Amino acid sequence: MLELTPRALRLLDFYADGQDSRHFRLRIDAPQPGDLAVIPGQFFMLGVPGFGEAPFTYVSPPDEGGEFSALIRSSGRLTARLFELESGASLGYRGPFGKGWPLLLGARRVLVVAGGCGLAPLAGWIEEALHHAAPLQLRVLYGARSAPAQVLGRERERWRQVLPLIETLEHGGPEALRGSPLAQLDRLFAEEQPQVVLCCGPEAFMLAIAKTCVRRGVAADNVWLSVERRMHCAVGLCGHCYIADSYACVDGPTYRYDHYLQLLAHGNTGHAGGELGVGPC
Amino acid sequence: MRVVPSICTFCGVGCGIGLRVEGARVVGVEPQPGHPVSQGQLCSKGWSTSFAIDTAGRLTRPLIREAAGLRPASWDEALQRVAGAFREALAEGGPGAVGVISCARATNEDNYAAQKFARAVLGSNNVDHCARICHSPSVAGLTLTLGSGAMTGSIADIDSADLILLIGADASENHAMIGARILRAQARGARLVVVDPRRTRLARLAEQHIQLKLGSNIALLNGLLQIIFANGWENRAFLDARCENVEVLRQHVAGLTPELTSAQTGVPVAELERLAYTVSHAKAAFIAYGMGITQFQSGTNNVVAVSNLALVCGQVGRPGAGINPLRGQNNVQGACDMGCLPNVYPGYQPADSSEVQAKFAQAWGVPMPQAPGLTSLGMTTAALAGDFKALMIMGEEPVLTDPDQHHVEHALRALDFLVVVELTMTETAKLADVVLPAASFAEKDGTFTNCERRVQRIRRAVNPPGEAWTDWQILGALAARMGYLGMIWADAEAIFDEMAALTPLFSAMSYPALDAHHGLHWPCDAAHPQGSPRLHAQSFPRGRGRLLPVSQVDPDECPDADYPFFFTTQRLHFHYGGGSMTRKSPLLERETPAGLLFIHPQDAADLHLHDGQGVRLRSRRGSLETCAQITDDMPPGTLSMPYHFREAPCNILTNSAQDPQSKMPELKACAVAIEPLPPGVAPRSADELNKEAGYGSF
Amino acid sequence: MVPSESRHFDLTCCELDSVERLRAHLAGGRTLYEVREDGQGGRHWQALTADDPTPFVAQTEPPPFAAKAFFFAEREAVFRFDGERFVAIEPTAPAQVLFGLHACDLAAVAYQDQFFAADAHYQARRAAALLVGLDCRHSCSQGFCTLVDSGPEVRAGTADLILLPTEAGWLLLIASVAGAAAVADLALPAASRDWPAQRVAHRQQVASEQGDGQWLQDGIAAINAAKVSAATWESLGLRCLVCSGCTTVCPTCSCFAPLERKLPDGSIEQERVWDSCLYEGFQKEASGHNPSALAGQRVQRFWQHKFGEGFRQTFGRYGCVGCGRCDHVCPGGIGVHAVMRKVGKPCSN
Repeated sequence: MLELTPRALRLLDFYADGQDSRHFRLRIDAPQPGDLAVIPGQFFMLGVPGFGEAPFTYVSPPDEGGEFSALIRSSGRLTARLFELESGASLGYRGPFGKGWPLLLGARRVLVVAGGCGLAPLAGWIEEALHHAAPLQLRVLYGARSAPAQVLGRERERWRQVLPLIETLEHGGPEALRGSPLAQLDRLFAEEQPQVVLCCGPEAFMLAIAKTCVRRGVAADNVWLSVERRMHCAVGLCGHCYIADSYACVDGPTYRYDHYLQLLAHGNTGHAGGELGVGPC
Repeated sequence: MRVVPSICTFCGVGCGIGLRVEGARVVGVEPQPGHPVSQGQLCSKGWSTSFAIDTAGRLTRPLIREAAGLRPASWDEALQRVAGAFREALAEGGPGAVGVISCARATNEDNYAAQKFARAVLGSNNVDHCARICHSPSVAGLTLTLGSGAMTGSIADIDSADLILLIGADASENHAMIGARILRAQARGARLVVVDPRRTRLARLAEQHIQLKLGSNIALLNGLLQIIFANGWENRAFLDARCENVEVLRQHVAGLTPELTSAQTGVPVAELERLAYTVSHAKAAFIAYGMGITQFQSGTNNVVAVSNLALVCGQVGRPGAGINPLRGQNNVQGACDMGCLPNVYPGYQPADSSEVQAKFAQAWGVPMPQAPGLTSLGMTTAALAGDFKALMIMGEEPVLTDPDQHHVEHALRALDFLVVVELTMTETAKLADVVLPAASFAEKDGTFTNCERRVQRIRRAVNPPGEAWTDWQILGALAARMGYLGMIWADAEAIFDEMAALTPLFSAMSYPALDAHHGLHWPCDAAHPQGSPRLHAQSFPRGRGRLLPVSQVDPDECPDADYPFFFTTQRLHFHYGGGSMTRKSPLLERETPAGLLFIHPQDAADLHLHDGQGVRLRSRRGSLETCAQITDDMPPGTLSMPYHFREAPCNILTNSAQDPQSKMPELKACAVAIEPLPPGVAPRSADELNKEAGYGSF
Repeated sequence: MVPSESRHFDLTCCELDSVERLRAHLAGGRTLYEVREDGQGGRHWQALTADDPTPFVAQTEPPPFAAKAFFFAEREAVFRFDGERFVAIEPTAPAQVLFGLHACDLAAVAYQDQFFAADAHYQARRAAALLVGLDCRHSCSQGFCTLVDSGPEVRAGTADLILLPTEAGWLLLIASVAGAAAVADLALPAASRDWPAQRVAHRQQVASEQGDGQWLQDGIAAINAAKVSAATWESLGLRCLVCSGCTTVCPTCSCFAPLERKLPDGSIEQERVWDSCLYEGFQKEASGHNPSALAGQRVQRFWQHKFGEGFRQTFGRYGCVGCGRCDHVCPGGIGVHAVMRKVGKPCSN
């Protein structure tokens, strides 16, 4: 039977990590074997008693002691309350849920593209890839509104040492890197054609990146997206995260682009437009 | 699982519902398929009833104010405190210094008890309720022209109308089952015309939308009359047989040319002519209006102008035709019918008639007050002047829903004593000296009267939480404390029977008769034992229908250089009143931000305002912050806010200029200034703004 | 209860001298519900005692509420937080009999049995319920069960017992192991009549009353071919008042939302409550982004969920069982008939 009751989770500590965002360290009180099997890109439901539950992705997966970290941006009642809490606060945890990023890629050349807080679901994957036995040629393209809006500062600092990290800003920064990450694809593809693209950010942004990459020769079944939806039950019952006949909490939030396009074609949102920003989050 | 038949407690339509009870709790609602009003359908509010009456967060014990705030108390102590305070106020200021504001959401039985308490126990005609702020102009205006202030037909008349003319009423959102019935009528071929400054849902679906300038109702209606008379389209037979004053009215409108009317209303001449033709040539025009007619300083005259149009076209007293005010609250009709007005006893028996006074003195065993009573606005004004000491408020939220909230709040603070009878801790209850916990409609027996005068039974489905009592029990116990034993009733039916025996309009009604007929329309007496779904078929209560010349009165406050936007108020389909019930639904609460402002895309562009951005609004009376929603529902230059949200209480802004006849405040029009907040800055709630300004939160 | 193996249960048929005797028998030891009129225009599932004297009336019109709420409760506590710990709230599952369920509503129960297969609350109550179906002899006013393969005769594997009305009196079909056990003590005599032919005759009668269903086929085809324009959906959306009536009465709708309630002892109880995908806020994210911001998109979603080919393949049938309740309850006049006629019309696309 599906688990609808949270387990106790402790807020250990946090630090500011980007505008309106905090990097939280959390501990599951009684970790179970399943907690160690988290795949990057999966998510958990964070319960703030009195303020409901909401989905967040792991930046680092739970360790043997049940400790893990998550990047959370303040938007809405639940996060507003979370940001008022002190270390030691009692929270609720359910997870892991959903499908993560593909793990063992036959491919060698991978391009990761993230917009805003969309970097968070990719962080765990990047870390794993860096420790992979057969090293990948991994490049990370990260776009944000402005320097203060950039998240995962400590992680990016580390990555910069070991892989090409291209950081664009809509406002500020060097001229060459100003604007949308879309504008960097020409150069990146010219340098080296990626085989696989992983992308996370606002939906319209992801779709534009994916479309461009496919046009430039990446196979649609080698492009992966992670979408955001309102979620409550996380087990495919409550209905909120529908995308056509798929539920993002079970079948996603990570989708293969070609599958996702099929869903859009059969869903109710395929014709809806949207702006191409890297978004608030 | 049990299902208990009842009547929806939200708007004045009076839909039939079944309360779905699991254990000791109402968990849901289902529509009554055979109900003559709602025909098996409900709106989002009705469907969400179980949340609205959820006992979590309900008041369960009486509360008494001490220096430190409100503390729980026994009924004994609380009633003693209330009785003592009323006695003191009476001793100090006489019966003019005390009063009761009753509740258009409570039952007829509760309202009967409230006015009886005011008159028989307090010895005062100071009794009122919120009809003042929705339909007092309907009562005043239609009494002048027809002799009776209620809907002349019934909701079912929509089914036989060939034209539905909706003026200043957003029926699909606020009276959704009437809106639904209008849509069904349209589907079978009836024509729909909507007169509204806003492009409402029904306006979009109508064959003609007259988007008149805010507050130009009389100009429009007079202009239509001019066209009708000029073309000889008036219903001469009807005018000859049933009306008086025709020539005076004809002369009055003769000079109001279509060009002049077009200039005043902003409606093209061709549109005016088309509507004048349509309404005068309809076989049966169901003319309905709402607060877009009544909530103006010219509210009574607006109603008279609607009445003039209907009479000149002969659209009264026939199947499908009629003048139909759409009332806001589930029992606002009943609260009026029960005499919770300073000037009338139950059934509109005049309070200044010595005959009526003698009748009630005889029945109730105490002398009746001679002095005229105060309206609710009169009471608050007197409180500010120090002439009014002690007030009972039953289940109303004037701090949130009244015009000019600072006035109300200051007035309530100026009282020596305020007792509030409520379900939950409302903004008004927070100001009280004593708060008494009341039973919700699901927890008591009684009757509601919907906007078409249909008196319907509600039934107790569950027990009240904790120590909550029904309003009439509270009033009866309080009366007994004050030495009056004539308000101890065995049950709600006993009150209804007492009322019916004293009220000719209801004399043939009883609970068994109501049960048997899905309710009955008053008048229901020996001559009309089955009630009266349609009034005025042969004659009007005042004899001939009176045509009264009225002239356009612009809103008291129009846009100027300092306050360049027109401002109006509206309701949302999802919320009701101050939101104290509907906002408990997680689904309805999720539907919109807690407070919002509607603005036309062009105005938004001029202000460089994005959808969802915070704005600050100012009027001469106050200011607030909220978020903007860009929509072409609004005409350029006019802004609108719903009044359901305590975070952004739009009545801080509205004007308290009054209709001289009904004292209706002009809630529908004032002037405001708007400035966008910086992008990304969330609007602050009224509470936060008050704290920052050092007012303290109430 | 209808465990999955009973879907292959071989029907047997008994003579039933008295439906009331069967009803009284089943009501022993269980709470038995039957649809009754309330005298105020309502018809509800109402608990009866074993000695209830009212004769059973085979109702043609389905009641306003299907069986859904008996298993997927409209409001239900899921867990409680006591300040430190989260404690699951076990579902209560009293033994119940639903007596006289129409075939369409039973098809919907079977549909939800699949959807909620791993939901402990649903399954606990479902396992404790005995379903007594009722074959229909005539179509109800808005129904089209024959067009969506849900009736008029109760489908195999969806009920424990089936009441079969005939001109010559009642027959009872034993449709599951639990059904057989429930009536074992009654020693009902086997029926000698040709009951399968009787059921075929009912089906033909109802099918002729319900017509060829071209309107429905055209609508389904248009929806699945994604041939319905956004403008058509928006014109339907303008008529959606967002009352939530359709999703509430739809026997296969299953969406819910969380509701936290503060209890008097200070603890917090989380309920799940029925939700509706027609609400604008249904998919609105905390950031304000809303993938289904337009009313037309939400109306489209509702009908895709009922008639989408993907869902049909997952559940083995359409999400619509043809009960017509959405027609009755929609204040905007956009129930299944109006919508499918509109979207199926070539000119509207």
